[in-house]
Amino acid sequence: MELLGRQEVWNITYDHALGETASTFYTLIRDEAAIYGRRIAGSNKVMVPPRSFSDETLEPTGEWVKVGPGGRIEAFTMVYEAFKNLPPPPYAFGYVLLDGADTALGGFFKGIDLTDPEAAAAKLKIGTRVVATFAAERKGEMMDFWFELEG
Amino acid sequence: MSGDRVGIIGIGQSAFRARRDDANYPELVREAVVMAMADAKMDFDAIQAVVYSLSPDAMIGIGNAERLGVDAVGGRSKPFLRINTGGATGISSAAAAYYHVASGMYDVVLTAGADKVGECGDSQSVLNKIWDPSYERPLPLGTINMLAMSGLRYMDQFGMTQEDMAYVTVKNRRHAALNPNAHLRKVVTIDDVMDSRIISWPIKLLDCCPQSTGGAALVMASEKYIKDNHLDAVWITGVAHAAETYWMGDRMGNNPTAEHSGAHALARSFEKSYRMAGIKDPAKQVHVAELYAPFSNTEFHAIDSAKLVAKPGDSIRPLLDGEFELGGRIPVNPSGGTLCTNAIAVTAMARVAETALQVWGRAGAHQVKGAKLGIASGNGGDHQIFGTMVIEA
Amino acid sequence: MGLRVQPGIIGCAIRPVIASRDRSLEEIIYETAQLALKDAGLTINDIDGIAVGSNDQFDGRSISVMMASGSVGGVDRDIMSTPSASEHAFILGALRVATGQFRTQLIVSWSPTEVSSMPEAQRLGTDPYFHRALPLDELSAHALQASALESVVPGARAAAQAVTAKNRAQGQAAYPAPPMTPDAGALRWPLTPSMTSAPVTGAVAMVLACPEFIAERGITNVAWLQGMGWATEAGFLGDRDLTTAPALDAAVKQAYAMAGITDPASAFGVVEITDASPYAELLAYEALGLCARDEWEARTTDGTFSVGGKLPINPSGGALTWNPVFCTGLIRIAEVAQQVRGKAGAHQVPHVTRGLAHAGSGFAMMYQAAVILGQEARA
Repeated sequence: MELLGRQEVWNITYDHALGETASTFYTLIRDEAAIYGRRIAGSNKVMVPPRSFSDETLEPTGEWVKVGPGGRIEAFTMVYEAFKNLPPPPYAFGYVLLDGADTALGGFFKGIDLTDPEAAAAKLKIGTRVVATFAAERKGEMMDFWFELEG
Repeated sequence: MSGDRVGIIGIGQSAFRARRDDANYPELVREAVVMAMADAKMDFDAIQAVVYSLSPDAMIGIGNAERLGVDAVGGRSKPFLRINTGGATGISSAAAAYYHVASGMYDVVLTAGADKVGECGDSQSVLNKIWDPSYERPLPLGTINMLAMSGLRYMDQFGMTQEDMAYVTVKNRRHAALNPNAHLRKVVTIDDVMDSRIISWPIKLLDCCPQSTGGAALVMASEKYIKDNHLDAVWITGVAHAAETYWMGDRMGNNPTAEHSGAHALARSFEKSYRMAGIKDPAKQVHVAELYAPFSNTEFHAIDSAKLVAKPGDSIRPLLDGEFELGGRIPVNPSGGTLCTNAIAVTAMARVAETALQVWGRAGAHQVKGAKLGIASGNGGDHQIFGTMVIEA
Repeated sequence: MGLRVQPGIIGCAIRPVIASRDRSLEEIIYETAQLALKDAGLTINDIDGIAVGSNDQFDGRSISVMMASGSVGGVDRDIMSTPSASEHAFILGALRVATGQFRTQLIVSWSPTEVSSMPEAQRLGTDPYFHRALPLDELSAHALQASALESVVPGARAAAQAVTAKNRAQGQAAYPAPPMTPDAGALRWPLTPSMTSAPVTGAVAMVLACPEFIAERGITNVAWLQGMGWATEAGFLGDRDLTTAPALDAAVKQAYAMAGITDPASAFGVVEITDASPYAELLAYEALGLCARDEWEARTTDGTFSVGGKLPINPSGGALTWNPVFCTGLIRIAEVAQQVRGKAGAHQVPHVTRGLAHAGSGFAMMYQAAVILGQEARA
């Protein structure tokens, strides 16, 4: 028998409120080219990216703390496979513990030749120093900055 | 708890495949339900309530698709609700069905579901939208690269190699070859895995689970009902969930509570399940384990978290030595596991089903000889929400 | 049949409308959970299990329990989610307390309005095989039910208009200083815009506990769970007789049997019904045993079900006033809990010792639940 199919597309958009904390974070990236975290009340821990409360203690965060731009790689991967609606491969991204922060911030790693995976992985080894680099034109979003190897 | 236990009395599982063009979504659910009802030698009238197992709607492209499954599970005018904890959904649904019975509310409860991941053209972009729209979603995150980063941290901390990862695939494919319901059943070598293309460093194609289509169902009943009706059963003696932070970057950095190389909340959930079941030394007491591990590297931290070894990282050597293979000390994923079959909505239910079949002595060619006590787990969210169970003969 | 351990509600936070956009959804959920804990006099450290109810398509998250988990204290706790309905989170939480394996449960649900089109998000909930090509949203399904009822029940329209007027008037009194006025809904004949409300952002949370915990803490203001039942209709509207509510009949039978209710019309001091449309409220009257359909017009126009009448129904104003679509069902349960606890605020009904909540959701009230709460530990 003839088995039929039907192609369906979901097309819905969302206008998500970011709240005061994330709004401040992005505004500072846009206007000052700097990354800020928030200190958890009653603790020395600085959360980057900033959250308005700690999910461990459920205590609010308070003081803004400028972090980076230097930091160390906590995790990375290099993607060689194409996925729909994600960037064309290859690309490298991961998480960096910025100086002064206690939690890691995600971002792309740029300026590394990804042709030879083994060689690139050695350059991006966990613990490697990197520096957050900002675009000249910034919109107030995650893509306004990325990480490059230090020095 | 004696006299108040909850038993599994019927099990249904599809033969999982890449696609099933002969059956639409509710028909797949129905297929598993009919098998479970036949296994329980029971008719639909006996089912008092239903728990529906379904993870992201977007994966099958139908919002609240559980509504479409109502008739497939015989749910009309019966108590019915749906559970979703991402990849853990199947074990969470089994836990919810367990609570329906353990509460005293009902004696016989069905849990069922199905998935058609093979029909979703965008599973990684659907899964990208599990992250928060403010900070982490703008990154090209998906479940593969999320766990690739876990693997790199595990390598960094415990010396795991790519060949060690490959051996997990080799082991699980050998197991899957014995399981007619498994999706990927071809035996492979370490070289096959190492030569397969890189998806997200260090994960290669053969380190990855497939996108599977199929259904699963379980019938549970109260101990009283089982005894009154002289039914055969295996018993759920430990049940728990635990979660860790949603934020990937909080699992790194300075002294994270939940280290991303491991599975902190999975360990916490197992602690609770073991305590409930009265298990003091899992490495000695557990006979078989079906641990949710969708990528080869994640089986190591699953074994660590189940405390089948003394401490994190200790799983590598014994796995290479065959301790976790069929015929070894504690076979892990004798069905081939999630690495060989992943129909997301029910993949963690398959872990429960397979563990139940093992302690029942009904697992067929991949039976672990003499298994009387088994454990199952499911991981959901961004490696965030974990469900565990202890099942005994 | 019956619960091993009887759960009691010891704290609630009801936020039927959140007008401001100064919080992210994660922050709204965090604040709502904290308010419920405060109402119970507890902190998160007292909570050992959590159940949340939310809808991925409304939230714009593929697995929305994930983002909510941190907000509600899910880190290092046992958390599960019921995306089928907000009221199902309550049912799951109650069952978990009833096992005796949990002392407390935090129940949370929410419904944002960040999606570009709620009807479109709902239409994705139709099957792609037969119905996706139709312009079906929940309001259209309520309209189909309304026209079906009008065709078989004389006076149904007059009764629906009376229900609308009652609930809107009660809503104005219940939440007298809201940050905005409710917007009318959309026209789906025979539903007029005034018979429904436009979706708003809302959230609700409650705390359940077992008798042992309640006694240990010396908590005296408790809405005890005396009975509950829940059930579903068929998935396809075409398989249903929209003028009847067999799933609610089944749910009510279960709940009343548990609570020992034999004469529902005189058993409750207050009732909250999910009035997604006034016709849904009317149909619930009958299934709940409060008023047969041939009495609808007479009883809705003589004030029987108004505040001050014999049996106040929806003193909160119901979903006809504030309509946070996904969590309206759980809000009905929380409203009754607060009535029983004497903490309902401006719309407190005097001398409520026992109340009934009806929670319904989905296309033409596909999912149905009835929950009986009272001051007495055992019914």
